[in-house]
Amino acid sequence: MIELRNVTLKYGEKVILDKVSLTVRNNTIKAVLGPSGVGKSTIIKLMLGLIKPNSGQVFVDGIDITPLKETELYPIRRKMGIVFQGNALFDSMTISQNMSFFLRENLQLPDEEIEHRVMEQIRFAGLEGYENQLPESLSGGMKKRVAIGRALIFNPGMILFDEPTAGLDPVSSKKILNLIADLRQNSNLGAVFVTHIIDDVFAIADETAVLYQGKIIFDGPTGKLHESDHPFIRSILSDKILEL
Amino acid sequence: MPVTSTSNLKLRAELRLKEFLLTMQEFFLFAVRAFSTIPKFRRYLRDVLDQAVICGIESIPIVLVSSISIGGLMAMEVGNLLEDFGAKTMLGRSTSNAVLRELGPLLMGLMLAARYGSRNGAELGAMQISEQIDALRAFGTDPIAKLVMPRLVAALVMFIPLVALSDFAGLQTAAYVAEHYHKIDPGMFWNSIYPKLAPKDFVVSFLKAPVFAIIITLVSSFNGFSARGGTAGVGRSTIKGIVVSSGLVLVANFYVSKLVLDFMH
Repeated sequence: MIELRNVTLKYGEKVILDKVSLTVRNNTIKAVLGPSGVGKSTIIKLMLGLIKPNSGQVFVDGIDITPLKETELYPIRRKMGIVFQGNALFDSMTISQNMSFFLRENLQLPDEEIEHRVMEQIRFAGLEGYENQLPESLSGGMKKRVAIGRALIFNPGMILFDEPTAGLDPVSSKKILNLIADLRQNSNLGAVFVTHIIDDVFAIADETAVLYQGKIIFDGPTGKLHESDHPFIRSILSDKILEL
Repeated sequence: MPVTSTSNLKLRAELRLKEFLLTMQEFFLFAVRAFSTIPKFRRYLRDVLDQAVICGIESIPIVLVSSISIGGLMAMEVGNLLEDFGAKTMLGRSTSNAVLRELGPLLMGLMLAARYGSRNGAELGAMQISEQIDALRAFGTDPIAKLVMPRLVAALVMFIPLVALSDFAGLQTAAYVAEHYHKIDPGMFWNSIYPKLAPKDFVVSFLKAPVFAIIITLVSSFNGFSARGGTAGVGRSTIKGIVVSSGLVLVANFYVSKLVLDFMH
């Protein structure tokens, strides 16, 4: 479980997050919905301890990670997989090397086991035949699937998606959403995904938090979004894609 | 000057100073972390070897070009000068001092600041803006151990033979120019060098290699890690890395020579 408790984050004088509280339970897909530049990706980075808040606390499985040093954070981060918005694939490594990176770095597994797991993820992502190619030779949707495979390969309890369908064509977007939905069906994985596309939220999220002007203005089951009378939520439900 | 302008200038100067001191503090901590991860070099041996090829083997051509040029040039110019004083037999000694102690290591340092430093700055800067460094951290890998330490260890190991190569190529070229341009007998050229060579000549030369390795690797890597603002930011951080490391190589070259020569006088 991940919990943000009264988290405030500022860049200079600009308040990005203002006393944000948010809970992500295991076995739940939680969407963080909001317009571009509102601090959604920042929430994911806070959950991983990649950045620290100015005030407030971030708990991962009951441990307050805000005072931890970088080296103390590594075991915490190994509980979570992340898919970055730009994928962040290691461009000097092949697809299979990207996918096996975590296993080779952190686990003492025999090569056969690593190869088995990599092939499993490559099949899951529908990337057979591409395992020895460099990321630069793949399309945007394929890169995203590699990034998802890389995040899943060590069986994390929670996976964090930063705008998983941003910049993808409708067909690739659908494939990615189906991939995430399959995860929910086939494993007990919890997930957080931040997005500005409301259709994606309704497609796969069990719960949704709406971030607007640095504050959470809605947090609850996705189905109840329609019941909110907040003007911003009313407007996004009618416009569907947030371009604010 | 109006009071407001003066106070604005003072405020800006204070801000710049504060920014500079903060950067220095960050750089110091970055350097400490890079050195403290050296014991993990076995774990990243593959990366160390890759970097050794990049900074060592692949740098041989540029080091040879610079040392051959400077060795030939020194022999030609110094020979002309010595001829005016009827002291051409001193050409070997004069050239070897300049090449061994100063110009060989210095030019190698500047060339590697440009070649290896720019590669580090651009590569790490691109990794920073494409979130690859955050990805390493997210996967529980220390990016300094994975990316900076191998570069540092490789440079510390490979710069020493590169200095030796630079010195050797510079002196051989000087001997060639002395023989074919100044018509000095090779035996005379080398005899004016060997008896006068002292340990301090080699200490000065080879001590500069690790000093330059540390400067070039840490400054360029730090600037790569600090890259912000897209591709333009990568360009800025790369340029900054080359300019700062080249400047520091020049300064360090002077102080290493001065300290060693004073100490071993």
